[in-house]
Amino acid sequence: MFGLWFRTALLLVLLASCQAPSPPTAQVRIRWARDPESLHPHTLANAMALQAVNLTYQSLLAVDAVHQRFVPLLADSLPAVRRNESASFFTYRIRSSATWDDGQPILASDVAFTLRAMRCPGLPNERMQAQYGFIQDIYISPKDARRFTLVCAPYAPDYVTLSGDFAILPEHLLDSGRILRRIPLARLDSAATRQPAVAAVIGRLAAAGLERSPGRYGSGPYRLVDWKPGQQLTLERKRAWWADPLQRTVPQLLARPQRISFQIIPDQTTALLALRRNEVDVYAGIPPADFARLQYSASDTARLGLYTPDSYEMIVAGYNTRKPTFSNALVRQAISHLINVPGILKGAVHNLGYASVGMISPHQLLFYNDSLQADTFDPAAATALLRRAGWRQTADGKWQNPAYAVSPLAFTISYRAGNAAYEFIALQLRTAAARIGITVQLQPVESSLLTQQLQTGNFDLYLRSIVGNPFAHNFIPLLHSRSTGEAGGNYTGFGSPATDRLLERLAAAEDTATKRTLLRHFQRIIQRERPLRVLYFTRNPIAITKRFTNLGLSSLSPGYEVTGFVEQPRP
Amino acid sequence: MARRILYGVLRPLFWLWLLVSVIFLLTRLAAPTPTEQLGHPTTASVASPEKLRAAQWALRHRLGLDLPLFYYSVQPHPRYGSWIPSAQWHGSGNQYHQWLRQLAAGSLGNSYRDGRPVTTVLLDTVPNTLLLTLPAAIGTIGFSLWAGLCLTGRRWWQRWVLGLCVGLDAVPLFLVATTLVLVLANPDALNLFPAYGAPEALFETPGLWTRATHYMYYFFLPISSLLVVTVPGFILQLTAALNREVTMQYTITARAKGLSSEQVLRQHLLRNALLPFITLLTDLLPALLAGAVVVEVIFALPGMGRLLAEAAATRDHPILLGGVLLIAMARLLSYWLADGLYGWADPRLRSTSTPAHA
Repeated sequence: MFGLWFRTALLLVLLASCQAPSPPTAQVRIRWARDPESLHPHTLANAMALQAVNLTYQSLLAVDAVHQRFVPLLADSLPAVRRNESASFFTYRIRSSATWDDGQPILASDVAFTLRAMRCPGLPNERMQAQYGFIQDIYISPKDARRFTLVCAPYAPDYVTLSGDFAILPEHLLDSGRILRRIPLARLDSAATRQPAVAAVIGRLAAAGLERSPGRYGSGPYRLVDWKPGQQLTLERKRAWWADPLQRTVPQLLARPQRISFQIIPDQTTALLALRRNEVDVYAGIPPADFARLQYSASDTARLGLYTPDSYEMIVAGYNTRKPTFSNALVRQAISHLINVPGILKGAVHNLGYASVGMISPHQLLFYNDSLQADTFDPAAATALLRRAGWRQTADGKWQNPAYAVSPLAFTISYRAGNAAYEFIALQLRTAAARIGITVQLQPVESSLLTQQLQTGNFDLYLRSIVGNPFAHNFIPLLHSRSTGEAGGNYTGFGSPATDRLLERLAAAEDTATKRTLLRHFQRIIQRERPLRVLYFTRNPIAITKRFTNLGLSSLSPGYEVTGFVEQPRP
Repeated sequence: MARRILYGVLRPLFWLWLLVSVIFLLTRLAAPTPTEQLGHPTTASVASPEKLRAAQWALRHRLGLDLPLFYYSVQPHPRYGSWIPSAQWHGSGNQYHQWLRQLAAGSLGNSYRDGRPVTTVLLDTVPNTLLLTLPAAIGTIGFSLWAGLCLTGRRWWQRWVLGLCVGLDAVPLFLVATTLVLVLANPDALNLFPAYGAPEALFETPGLWTRATHYMYYFFLPISSLLVVTVPGFILQLTAALNREVTMQYTITARAKGLSSEQVLRQHLLRNALLPFITLLTDLLPALLAGAVVVEVIFALPGMGRLLAEAAATRDHPILLGGVLLIAMARLLSYWLADGLYGWADPRLRSTSTPAHA
């Protein structure tokens, strides 16, 4: 018996002596849900990678998230735009003081090199090739090595911002022999890369390890000091950075925190405890139920600032219009009447969201079509619409339609497994549909598999989120008939020559008045045709310790501007 | 003898090759391209559908996924439709052949996500996993042996402890881990341990005592979670085997010779009761490398379990295959180890040609 007591006492002494290492001071600790996987500026594997790349690399333009506008970053001003029938031209000049870490100036030749690196076959740049394929050539001013003009495809409004929205790489470090310069941008294909010299440059680019070494090749304010995959990633402020003299005058070049440590905590319960135990300072995208709990905790609200900025993420229910069941817009409207959005907002997201009639956020007052009536939860209206669509209710309560081979009326709901909000929506819809005699089956699937099913059209109705933004209203990737199929994002199969034309005009619209008219018309058509129904826009629940101010909260991901954080002196 | 050894080596290797080949083919058939790398469609995308298709082809080409999957493929006959399949021979220019050739050269390929060699990724991850699983395994063996020996002959205690073990054995790991976090790392309950993570620089910390206390501080909850779910099963098996051996005639003989209860238990009963325990024990070896995905997710530890789960979710086939190969090899090793241990525990098994675990 003495032995047992002795061993227990020894264990207690040992446990009591356990201690935590003290955290370093002057750092911001941010919770990430997953690893960034790759920090290559041309891969942008996920939102975490994008956040880290934005802190270590720089592009010509940057987003001023608070004021929702593009501002010059490496460029000294927004681009001068010229255009003709066959091409558009965007002229930039790089800031005179902009330099790489080794003191070499950042020049137009670096931009040209970056564009060529984005086109080189065999490198992980396929996304860039697709997104920046509209840039056809670059012309560098012979008089000013910092001035250049991008020659682009025929003008589209989005090109103004996109032409300056990619991370610039240093030519002198990655292609010191200036080999890629010899090949025109448009001719940088697999044939050109068979030249041994070009192949050697591509080999060097691949071997440079951009996936894991941002900071050495980026002109941004931070460099990577530590990355333990799946655990944490730490960035440190460069001691001497080219934009240091501009800190007071150019807000977009502000970089205050000395150290930013991203803590990768996949589990939400653990992340919440870490926040409450003061092990992390910033936690964005808090699950609504956890956020509500924080709001009711006096000790937590005393130490943490709780914020709910809007976001441009919308949750949609999309119908497969190619399936006989949903080929009729009246059926799609009927099913929309079975979705109880206020109930979902209350039950699934604790009112951290707001309903919308369409794909434009109600907070974009200029473009939102407030004359449209949002669908209400009305099973009687759904029944009437089904009757109008030719469906008849049989004695057993099921719906039959002699026009279709499929009978009775039934469908599946596909959504990402493990998402509580989607599960709530699917269950609510199934219950409401069952009450009027429609059989609904739930089909939760893994995320990649869901994308595969949606692209091959193997679904009836899906639930998913779409992330919009305030700068672009290009719905071609989502609803144009050309965007269907294995590479497209138009999962619903929606599209007619008339709607395709409308989307193309909308993507090309420049002045606000035209855009407003077209967007309002677009919302009306989507509500009438209902290929998809926007259920609600989400808010982004964020908790940040009160020792930080100047948070730069905004509706753009991640919802805060860590570079501007100011630490209050500790009492 | 040589034939027996050759058979004993070649047969598991054949099954290893078959297992990895089947996983190779299944994963690539189920998820041909990791299209997540091209991003999801948004309203800010100006890439035309044609450009997106070209990007998808370029991605497949870069990853070698544009080649046929296997030496031949079966397709519906061009003239007679799907009723009569037609096979097409692709020769050695296929994904499986390339992968086998790579494997023969000692390379497991590169990760689709960050381009790092799979062997580097696995070598980085395995130590993190062992930091968690090795102490848990040692603790499981030690604690269950101690508890098993203590409980033998104590009928009253056995009833309560075994009842508790049956209860704990049925509790899922996520529940145990979450409960421990919520009780022992919660400002509203006992705020004793950290909620997540491993010490930032455990091996760089000066001083053995400081290093040990840091380790204890961070790993107490994850290791305890594993112990709570694995130890009961071991105790139940060992106690049942010991209880069976107690009733055997040789136990009475040993007592009649004048040996104390302790001597009978340790020198005679334990060795004979070890066979089912060894089976469980050797199952621990592959588990050491496979990690414990639930514990790794809850405590944010970067181990093999999480690596493989994330690789499966993001279609990172080379990592997934490398991990499976490593775990399968550990399983193989555990079988050989089991054979050796069985022979040690019961010399009668040394002469049998068939391994006792089969």
